[in-house]
Amino acid sequence: MTIALERRSLLRAAGALVLGFAVPLPAPRHAAAQANPPVRPPMTGGAGTLTAYLAIAPDGAITLYSPTTEMGQGTWTGHVAIVADELGADPGRIAVENPHPAAPYRRDVGAGPAMGSGGSWGVRYWYQPLREAAARARVALVGVAAERLGVPAAELRAEDHHVVHAASGRRLAFGDLAAAAAQRPLPESAALRPAAELKLIGRGLPRIDIPAKTHGGTIYSIDLKLPGMVYAYARVSPVFRAELDRFDAASAKAVPGVLDVVAIPGGAAVVATSMWAAMRGGRALDIAWKPTPHDTTTSADITAAMKDGLAQPQGAVSRNDGDVDAALRAASRVVEADYEVPFLSHTPLEPWNINVRIDGDRLEIWAPTQNQDRLLNRVVRETGWDREKIRLHTMLQGGGFGRRLYEDIPSAAVIVARAVGRPVKMFWTREDEIGQGWGRPAQMARLRAALDAQGKVTGLWVRTAGTSMNRDFNNFQGDLDASSVQTLNDTRYRTGAYRVDYVRRQAPVPSMPWRSVGATQNGFFMESFLDEVAQAAGKDPVALRRELLAHDPRALRVVNTAAEKAGWGTPLPAGRARGFAFVESYGSLCAQVAEVSMENGRPRVHRVVVALDCGSQVLPDGVRSQVEGGVIQGISTAMGEKLEIAEGRVQNANFDGYHVLRTDEAPTLIETHVIESGERMGGVGEPPVPPITPALANAVSALVGRRIRKLPIADALG
Amino acid sequence: MPVNLTVNGRRHTLDIDPEMPLLWALREALDLTGTKYGCGIAQCGACTVLVDGTAIRSCVTPVSALDGQEVTTIEGLHPENRHVLQQAWIEEQVPQCGYCQSGQILAAAALLTAIPKPTDADIDSAMVGNLCRCGTYPRIRAAIKRAAGTGA
Repeated sequence: MTIALERRSLLRAAGALVLGFAVPLPAPRHAAAQANPPVRPPMTGGAGTLTAYLAIAPDGAITLYSPTTEMGQGTWTGHVAIVADELGADPGRIAVENPHPAAPYRRDVGAGPAMGSGGSWGVRYWYQPLREAAARARVALVGVAAERLGVPAAELRAEDHHVVHAASGRRLAFGDLAAAAAQRPLPESAALRPAAELKLIGRGLPRIDIPAKTHGGTIYSIDLKLPGMVYAYARVSPVFRAELDRFDAASAKAVPGVLDVVAIPGGAAVVATSMWAAMRGGRALDIAWKPTPHDTTTSADITAAMKDGLAQPQGAVSRNDGDVDAALRAASRVVEADYEVPFLSHTPLEPWNINVRIDGDRLEIWAPTQNQDRLLNRVVRETGWDREKIRLHTMLQGGGFGRRLYEDIPSAAVIVARAVGRPVKMFWTREDEIGQGWGRPAQMARLRAALDAQGKVTGLWVRTAGTSMNRDFNNFQGDLDASSVQTLNDTRYRTGAYRVDYVRRQAPVPSMPWRSVGATQNGFFMESFLDEVAQAAGKDPVALRRELLAHDPRALRVVNTAAEKAGWGTPLPAGRARGFAFVESYGSLCAQVAEVSMENGRPRVHRVVVALDCGSQVLPDGVRSQVEGGVIQGISTAMGEKLEIAEGRVQNANFDGYHVLRTDEAPTLIETHVIESGERMGGVGEPPVPPITPALANAVSALVGRRIRKLPIADALG
Repeated sequence: MPVNLTVNGRRHTLDIDPEMPLLWALREALDLTGTKYGCGIAQCGACTVLVDGTAIRSCVTPVSALDGQEVTTIEGLHPENRHVLQQAWIEEQVPQCGYCQSGQILAAAALLTAIPKPTDADIDSAMVGNLCRCGTYPRIRAAIKRAAGTGA
């Protein structure tokens, strides 16, 4: 590693203390709270500081270059807490930005290094690198202070944005030390502060982005306005994956404000002086697409294909312990059931949009992306643009939930900007965002459990079937999509013989990772089925889980914490029932108890008790916030979310038909009990989602005396 | 034909199509981008603003319908952004992505104007039109109660 050399070459002129690696371009600045859009001139390669994670200006202002996109999950505040604590900085003087993709911001969790935010990695992955970077910066600042004060470094402490010599009462500000510190090689390593000195990590910090979000001050991608900008509505086929046949530009140009109509992959962009005019022009546009093989496909067709997958003699096997066939043959009793979940939309409240500006051979992009390298790679692949001459600004985002891992034809915006010679904001409407698919895949499962005469589970076979999400999203060509067996494949339950396999049955609806990915549907399948097994064996559902986890103290503690805090087994008012579920995902273990009644034929969730072992936490209130949001999003999917497919397209592509949970049906009481087990830090954004759906369905099943095997629950109840 | 519009106490004469929904007039003619586009069909509430103190969906309200009325957007709720609801939103650490929150706060402001001490049922009926995809509903409810002095 040649960190020190690179650093020296980068930073001398800037007067900033910089850590880490060479970055080829100046980084954009988007402080979370600033009211003005981060519009910068196209890169020139001349001015500006080059940094990896951290820069300290002469006035003491610190810029934290966070590798993680802020979509509302609060990671930026977590990163500020980590850096401020380790450095001894005032967190209020740290602004956060997402830099242009470069090596230090790429994480590699198995698929090669890439800059992006997913898998609930934002805090757990970057915790250590950011602390180490801050510690090395602190040692460098202290080193300069020691020389200036003529005292040993060991007598100095970094705190409150200063290096302090307690014995003499002298203090030197970080901003006064940073320029000199930047001239020297950074220490190769530095000891982290002992836990006793940490004031923010594990205790918390108010979210840095919240004040601006209470007064309309946050500039989201859709709000960005560049000088001379025009607005392009991307009219694409409502039938999935259809190719453009023809369009008549004059039909749209008749609408006031419409400037041009430009062919783009899969459709046409209506370019206008405002978003409103572009939308009106888009609606007026006479356009047609070519027929597809799935022009008549319905939800029922997709279900039939998945059922066919369940019935296949062979699947792609992901796990095969013992002889599950023998266990099923020898069983005193076999429990079997089929489960089904539909296609879902993430539908973040800010619809997809992207801003581009071309200046000669330079291309500047402002996008609400959580997958920076992927977006850039696609633009390069589709437009042939020189990657070194593209600059990507990541914008704060109006929700993500995985949706912004995908980039909706970013090259189309480049095509339009080239055609009209002006900066362009290209956008989709809500109907496009839901209607194009790109959500969670529909999936089915068939589960078979072998029970012996005492009701002990001696074997379990789980077969899943449906769309391979990774085939749509990553062009995966194998038979075994890991997301279709996620959490089943590595369950902690010991069920005797155990087989998990999968049969791919690709639907035309494009799919991609949706918050907690395969864990959502597989958690529902497994945890609902375990309640059926418990019922068949005459056991309490929690007692059955304890039995299957008897070897695993960590999991037992999570199960027991949720059960005890919820009063599992204690009497409830008439008409109420509790449902339980336990799912591990993204490095965290989560058990939930939902307390439910039925009102006018619909479930009413009164209380949800959550036990979460995420190892350790940085922002306790941030964890609670993610748990609450995850639980509510999970309830939303259980209660009413699904894409209705007919004629090869989504039939319910706006909020009048795609039912996102509203406040009147949301639980008011969500209790979070975090277990700091000290195990390796786990994720927090996704793990709260999978358990709530089965916990709710289990409670409803108990209330209505009928097993909920299909989501949304409204459909299962008929 | 020019359209007269009074927003956050300032009178504007705009040369825009009178059919243009208020949402787009605010965002595009007046650069008030705190009001958000979410669905365009009055189903999500992200575009909520106040007209003479009442919450309306600006995405389906043509500007021509607003002559002579006072429009208040999130930017004009309080001169220093310290409305009791804005403070409560910060105290309760409500927003996640924040995209719906302008609309949520304005819907709550209309509620507290009409009913200073709302019950849970009042909150349900006033806020049911405002979607939050991040699931901040419990915190929104707590913040409204904090602002109303009705506690949790």
